[in-house]
Amino acid sequence: MEKEIKRIITVLAGICILFVSLVVYLTYFQIFKADKVKNSSYNKRLWINEEKILRGSIIDRNGKILAYSELNGETYARVYNYGSLYSHIIGYSYRDYGKSNLELYYNNVLLNTSESAALNELKNLVEPNSEGNTLKLTIDHHLQEYSRNQMKGKKGAIVAMNPSTGEIYAMVSLPDFNPSTLREDWGNIVEDENSPLLNRAISGLYQPGSTFKVVTAISALENNMYMEDYECTGTAVVDGYPLKDYDGKGHGTVNLNEALIYSCNPYFAETGIKLGIDRLSETAEKFLLNREIPFDLPVKKSLFPKKGNIGKTDVAAASIGQGKVLVTPLNMALIASGIANKGDIMKPVLVKEVISKDGKVIDSFKAEVISRATDIFTANELKNMMVDVVNKGTGKNARISNIRVAGKTGTAENPSGNDHAWFIGFAPADDPKIAIAVILEEEGSTGGQKAAPIARNIMLEALNTINN
Amino acid sequence: MLNRGVNYKIPRNLLFLFESIALFLMFMYYRNALDRSTIIYGLSLIFIIYISNLILSKIVSGDNYIFLIVTMLASIGIIMIYRINYEQGFKQIIWISLGIVLFFATYFIVKRIKGWEKLFLYYCLASVFLFLATLLLGRRFKGAINWISIGGISFQPTEIIKILAILMIASYYTNYDRFKEKKWGRYYLIGIMYLFVFFLFLQRDLGSVLIFCSLFLALQYIYDENRKLVLANIVVLMFSGLLGYVIFPHVRIRFETWINPWKYIDTIGYQITQSLFAISEGGFFGTGLGLGHPDFIPEVSKDFIFSAICEEMGILTGIGVIMLFMILVYRGFKISINQRNKFFRIVALGISILFGIQSFIIFGGVINMIPLTGITIPFVSYGGSSMLSSFIALGILQVASEELDIEED
Repeated sequence: MEKEIKRIITVLAGICILFVSLVVYLTYFQIFKADKVKNSSYNKRLWINEEKILRGSIIDRNGKILAYSELNGETYARVYNYGSLYSHIIGYSYRDYGKSNLELYYNNVLLNTSESAALNELKNLVEPNSEGNTLKLTIDHHLQEYSRNQMKGKKGAIVAMNPSTGEIYAMVSLPDFNPSTLREDWGNIVEDENSPLLNRAISGLYQPGSTFKVVTAISALENNMYMEDYECTGTAVVDGYPLKDYDGKGHGTVNLNEALIYSCNPYFAETGIKLGIDRLSETAEKFLLNREIPFDLPVKKSLFPKKGNIGKTDVAAASIGQGKVLVTPLNMALIASGIANKGDIMKPVLVKEVISKDGKVIDSFKAEVISRATDIFTANELKNMMVDVVNKGTGKNARISNIRVAGKTGTAENPSGNDHAWFIGFAPADDPKIAIAVILEEEGSTGGQKAAPIARNIMLEALNTINN
Repeated sequence: MLNRGVNYKIPRNLLFLFESIALFLMFMYYRNALDRSTIIYGLSLIFIIYISNLILSKIVSGDNYIFLIVTMLASIGIIMIYRINYEQGFKQIIWISLGIVLFFATYFIVKRIKGWEKLFLYYCLASVFLFLATLLLGRRFKGAINWISIGGISFQPTEIIKILAILMIASYYTNYDRFKEKKWGRYYLIGIMYLFVFFLFLQRDLGSVLIFCSLFLALQYIYDENRKLVLANIVVLMFSGLLGYVIFPHVRIRFETWINPWKYIDTIGYQITQSLFAISEGGFFGTGLGLGHPDFIPEVSKDFIFSAICEEMGILTGIGVIMLFMILVYRGFKISINQRNKFFRIVALGISILFGIQSFIIFGGVINMIPLTGITIPFVSYGGSSMLSSFIALGILQVASEELDIEED
């Protein structure tokens, strides 16, 4: 009898363990797996309500319709008016391929639904919902189209924005894809080694090359550690490694201003070493490197070597935008904007307004400073130097008659292929209306030759066409 | 005495409150299609359950909790089924009412008649007869042949065989000393059980194979004096499991869908993935009754009712249902330990293990913790055979919870 009871209890314990394991597994599943499972495109729940709701349109800053939905039998289907032009901004929304970009991140706004099913049901009782909200973007359709045409046949990215409000006027990333024919193209798109699904403007990490010298220059000015007369021989030897200028010829005796005008590598390498990695990275982080950039779409974090133990050569390389420095084009546009906007970097914005179905503006963006990158005097000093870069130096191709343009070119050595061509800048220098970053990936030419003219054209077009 | 009276009343009233709230939600959900009969059916269900619990507390001297737990489970089941399918809901109310009648009938019959422990041969023959009938008359349904239809009424003989098997095992071990004296007496039961498992395998009813094996193994572990035989049995069962996996594609495919259901999402993995969607959609608190889409899962009111409960009432309710089964099993074991009549002690164990294992297999299956085998949750899933046989088993358990005469010999 004693033995029998013991065994009975053993069996009971076994069954209890089975039940408890069910509870544990169910909880584990709900906490760690459910979100991923739920968002599988095979989950019909995601679609059942959506297709009955007229998904809101997406319009540009002037009200031009970029994407809308139309009734197709019993359900709504999405129409993209401009093919691949907005593939990296608006993205796509399909039952079988899911969603991307604004279609994904603004899904609830476009459908005018909330995350909670219970809340939606309550709302439906009060006011049956069949129409979503319209998104008004900060994008200027004309400039977007113009910018993309400027880049035709090239790989790279452009970000053009208002430096004092943070509004993005144009954001181009090439190669791109056509959301309208996504179903047919899907196989090619995912296999393409140029990754057309990647938004280079916010997710591409590149070495900034000489464009980064503006940050080094600001650090030197703020810390009062710039050199007045530096003898440039064309090469600086750091720890036994020679750092050459682009053409290898010396610039003679230069001060900070001249060093920036002619993009003198030895000058900035020496300055960087003098400043040291601590001061340099402090300034870089104020310009949002190593920091999360808040945006309507997820932005990759730009990278700068952390404070601490790194070699002199790495510091020298970092101060001229080579080596371990990696930036997104959006970040470079924000650096230009910060200098243009008296040292304050504004939060970049893509969605200007959310408009309800009866035309009321229910949400609109507020201009917001996300980093006080430098003070007004340093910003002003840098601006003047950048104007000289365009007037006398490497950025001559960005000159616009009657308008003072500030800029900086860059040619980034690319360990895995041809050089990248960079240009960052803003105009008019005294009352900046537009700031820009242009990168041509693996262009194999200098920023001054290839990127500067494109930036010039876009800035001029923006100044002529955007009026507010 | 007074305290006892009050304590018994509280859970009954709580159950009444739970049912009223849930029913009210259901009426709201069907507010546009509500007619008088719906309301009458719903209210009469609450009434029947309340009265049954009340009667039970007055007339029986044994355990008062098991019936309460079961009616709670049945209420959750009926609300979910009714929400998924109006007509199935009505039918389920009838099945539950019939089940309760059968529960009381079984209780009185089993209590009144003596000598249940002497019928080993009859349990055995009846089971074999039902197995043969299934094989000869059976209809194939979802790959398994386990339904027979006589005069327009279809039922699953396996549901009855489960109870017969428990009675058979109990009478075998009650009379173990007498069987031992015969030449092969020690091996009678194991031989018969292998025959049963073989029949079930022929029916391709893998869920029932699992239930029978674990039921038999657990009771054998507790009662068989021949420990080597227990060990041998474990080895044989594991080996047959492995052999089955290698030989039969329909066994293999269940394992493969268990490992990666997403790979078979369009075919054999469809049900289980739909079930996982439902559970993850529900979160901890559920979408709310009528606000989810459990109807996307095929056969949701039978095998997948647990997923529907998780979607609309949340996994907290799901865990509640699991816990109710755990308490039911615990009460069953407690009944068994307190029972001095050996036959009913074993019967109580067998029934508790049956409820426990059967619910575990299907809970684990629909959440993809173990390979999915299609069986019903006792008292919760839609279906007549399962509901009625479960209530019969509960009636027997109710008898076992009372003080009974100890057999003479």
